[in-house]
Amino acid sequence: MPTIDLRSILQETVSGWYGDLVTRSTGHAVRRGVEEVLAECDGEQVAVMDFSSVRLLDLSCADEVVAKLLLQYGRTRPFLLCGISEDHQEALEPVLRRHGLAAVARDRMGRARFLGVITERVRVALIMLAERGSAEVEDVADHLAVPTSAAREVLDELLERRLVLTNAAGNQVISIA
Amino acid sequence: MTRVVEIPVNFDHDTFDQFARAFGTPEDERLLFDAHATKWGSPYGLIGLLAIGQWLLEQQQAKPLLTIPNDREVAHYWARTGFFRHADDLFELHGKVPYVGTTGSSDVLLEVTPVRGADDVHSVVDRIQDRAAAILRELGLEPQATMGFAMALSEACQNIVEHAGTGGWVAVQAYHWRRRLGRRVAVIAVADAGVGFRTSLAPTQAKRVGDRWSDATALEAALFQGVSRFRDPGRGQGLTGMRRYVGRWEGKLSLRSGTARLSIVPGWDDDVPMAEGLPPFPGSQVQLIIPAQQSN
Repeated sequence: MPTIDLRSILQETVSGWYGDLVTRSTGHAVRRGVEEVLAECDGEQVAVMDFSSVRLLDLSCADEVVAKLLLQYGRTRPFLLCGISEDHQEALEPVLRRHGLAAVARDRMGRARFLGVITERVRVALIMLAERGSAEVEDVADHLAVPTSAAREVLDELLERRLVLTNAAGNQVISIA
Repeated sequence: MTRVVEIPVNFDHDTFDQFARAFGTPEDERLLFDAHATKWGSPYGLIGLLAIGQWLLEQQQAKPLLTIPNDREVAHYWARTGFFRHADDLFELHGKVPYVGTTGSSDVLLEVTPVRGADDVHSVVDRIQDRAAAILRELGLEPQATMGFAMALSEACQNIVEHAGTGGWVAVQAYHWRRRLGRRVAVIAVADAGVGFRTSLAPTQAKRVGDRWSDATALEAALFQGVSRFRDPGRGQGLTGMRRYVGRWEGKLSLRSGTARLSIVPGWDDDVPMAEGLPPFPGSQVQLIIPAQQSN
């Protein structure tokens, strides 16, 4: 699981003095830096983007880095945003919503967060998976109190949007949070 | 020939249209901006004045004249904001410019600063964060207001970089706004003398709006529909983010461009949401006011 420290990328690609992810041009440069890291990693691995050392994230950079990466690679590779603060979340939420995107995140306390456009049923399933680590479709059906077919639809959506993984046998879904 | 443009006694957002009317449409004449009787200059007024100095210099290749306030305290305040350091490059100054050291005055959160590129935005955002945290705490705002304040500042400055087609100015101050509110406020003012919203958005929006296309509809499209001159659907989120921020903290956001001004007006203010048919003024002027919370 490659962990991509965004502050390091920022300092390598733009300026060693910067600690804030702000402006379009900075976001563009950071995204290019992230893409270089991703190009060297197995496409099936979860790409962990680490915001722990990023002080300020503005809307322009949230769009230029996170939204554009998810738009470009989000259907083929799972992403996890980790170390996000409440302030980062304030920038990420509207940007993801604007594009109809969703993302799995972990805050600075290590708690799972699910951002962007997610239905209530999907959110409940994601929370359950984050708590248990993994589950089978029947577990999800029980938890949501819905028929197995409906639970399968939820899991299919999560898998299609790369918000969860499956095990090798394909009979369990695994949380990435 | 020299024409005198009087700077209002209280030179701020509320009297800016009076200033714009006096500025008029300069022809082949030299302008003298007369601030000798001015008693107060808000960040919005001061950077608006710099923007017009820059515009005149670019248009006429000759510096306009500026008489500085007679009132020593007022001139000192202008000096503390860093105004004269930049005005000296744009105007032929008349009167004694007071010397002020780098005092780190507590009411000046960010001195008058030019914004020309992304580096300037980084620098501004970096400088504001620690000082804004202290001031916003004084205003009774929760800690998360600080990052939102810096984010709004970043987006406001980026409007210049991305859309103005020329440089601009930013200043951030905190002061007691006795006349209007009777409370302390933190104020972000950003101005440029660039192309303005109408020209910037025309290639992507004018056709859609048709005959109604104007400074006013351009401002509405930018603030309420989040449109941008770029076709990238992710663009145009900055102003809507600023709108959310002022809504959360009972703040006021005002955008002036060309002959129109669009404001998000909080309960404590009696401004009109949209003012049209104003005296024309080059570029765009943005003001964001965050007041001390009532419990303070």
